[in-house]
Amino acid sequence: MLVEDLMDRDLTSLSEDATLMDAIEVLSRHRIPGIPIVDDDGRVIGFLSEKDIVRAALPGYVDLLEDPSYVPDMGQFMMRMRRASKDKVGRHMTKEVVCLKASDSDFHAALIMIKKNLKRVPVVEDGILVGVLNRADIIEHLMSE
Amino acid sequence: MEKTIMTVTMNPAVDIQYVVPEFMPGRWFRASEVDRSAGGKGINVSIILQQLGYESAAMGFLAGFSGEYIRDTLRRLKLTTNFVNVIGESRTDIYVVDEVGHMETGIAEPGPYVPEEALGRFMKNFERMLSRARLVYIGGSLPPGVPQDAYKDLILRCKAARVPVFLDASGPSLTSALEACPMAVKFDHRFLFSTLGYPMGSIDDILNLVSGIHDNGVEWSVTTYRMVGNIFYTPQGIYMVDIAREEREQMVSLLAIGDALMAGLIVAILEGMDVERAIRFAQACSLEDTLHVKKGIRGRQMVEALMPKITVEKLR
Repeated sequence: MLVEDLMDRDLTSLSEDATLMDAIEVLSRHRIPGIPIVDDDGRVIGFLSEKDIVRAALPGYVDLLEDPSYVPDMGQFMMRMRRASKDKVGRHMTKEVVCLKASDSDFHAALIMIKKNLKRVPVVEDGILVGVLNRADIIEHLMSE
Repeated sequence: MEKTIMTVTMNPAVDIQYVVPEFMPGRWFRASEVDRSAGGKGINVSIILQQLGYESAAMGFLAGFSGEYIRDTLRRLKLTTNFVNVIGESRTDIYVVDEVGHMETGIAEPGPYVPEEALGRFMKNFERMLSRARLVYIGGSLPPGVPQDAYKDLILRCKAARVPVFLDASGPSLTSALEACPMAVKFDHRFLFSTLGYPMGSIDDILNLVSGIHDNGVEWSVTTYRMVGNIFYTPQGIYMVDIAREEREQMVSLLAIGDALMAGLIVAILEGMDVERAIRFAQACSLEDTLHVKKGIRGRQMVEALMPKITVEKLR
């Protein structure tokens, strides 16, 4: 099976001049863990995950967040988050984005997502966003076979 | 990358159809059949375009559990979507189909409030999508918070990008949108008569009305006449369209028949059909949709089989 058979053809995305506050609102309203960042033609130029947003507020801590004892008090965290919320998405997005093509195989997609520990990967055609593949979509597909 | 059709539904809905024989107000009924679907004019057009073999991208606003239901339904249908989610709840519209009395009763909700920032985000998405659009369809009501000239604004953006627009609207949003001259318009002539102050009643009055719209630059317009027939104003003249009586008697549900007609007209124009065939094809899409409770059409072959049942008469 190909990625195009499994992907969600949802084009929810942001431009790099959106603020982190915009991104937080979209992630929350759409209940998604990350969002592709696109240019005016819909070309994928970055990806912003929840982790990138936390990193924007707590740059030194993000890799230690697996251990909750490294999290500073919530008041400080909230203050830093509010300050960072006005930053542009382009400043904090991951610029080297892993993308899939609609014609890629399910096996190739699964390997990439497992290897790079990705939950959500943009699917592109000629660099333009045409959908996203979620880890859950692949798992659902595997279980239904 | 191949260009696509864009559909805009500012105020989507979950459409629930209950089939209730001999329905009447003030009594309690059990539905003999229920059909629940994602709806709103643009979404219906996207679904019917897919049934006709055409891809499209659906845009607009979604909210709450109903919004999630709509998005999930479209995801499972493998339709491309680009909605802006807002706080509140997308509409649920109820239709009661009385098979015995051949009547349909409907209740529509107003929809969620759309704040200015969400509208701004939608407009940005719309501009971005325009670069990959071959045609834009805009249809339905506006949710609270969206200004009445929003459709006019969208049409002007399409015209700047040289993308043709089809519109199906009513109320002040229609009168405002007509100023921007979309390529094709479907409208309720009774509303325009009252708004524009035209005399109302005879077929000539309707013809004068559609001629006026055409003179402003609209190439195609469609308005309902006698419930299920239509008057088409085309670049090659005005046509009256009717349906064979035996087919009329088999009609079950009128839900989304206008959307099926517009989807058919989009396909006809994109495929370069001649005017009379285009009208026949669009009307056959609409007719096919009436012949069953489930919204939409049962495939292109079924539509084409109905085309001989449509009579097309040139009036002018």
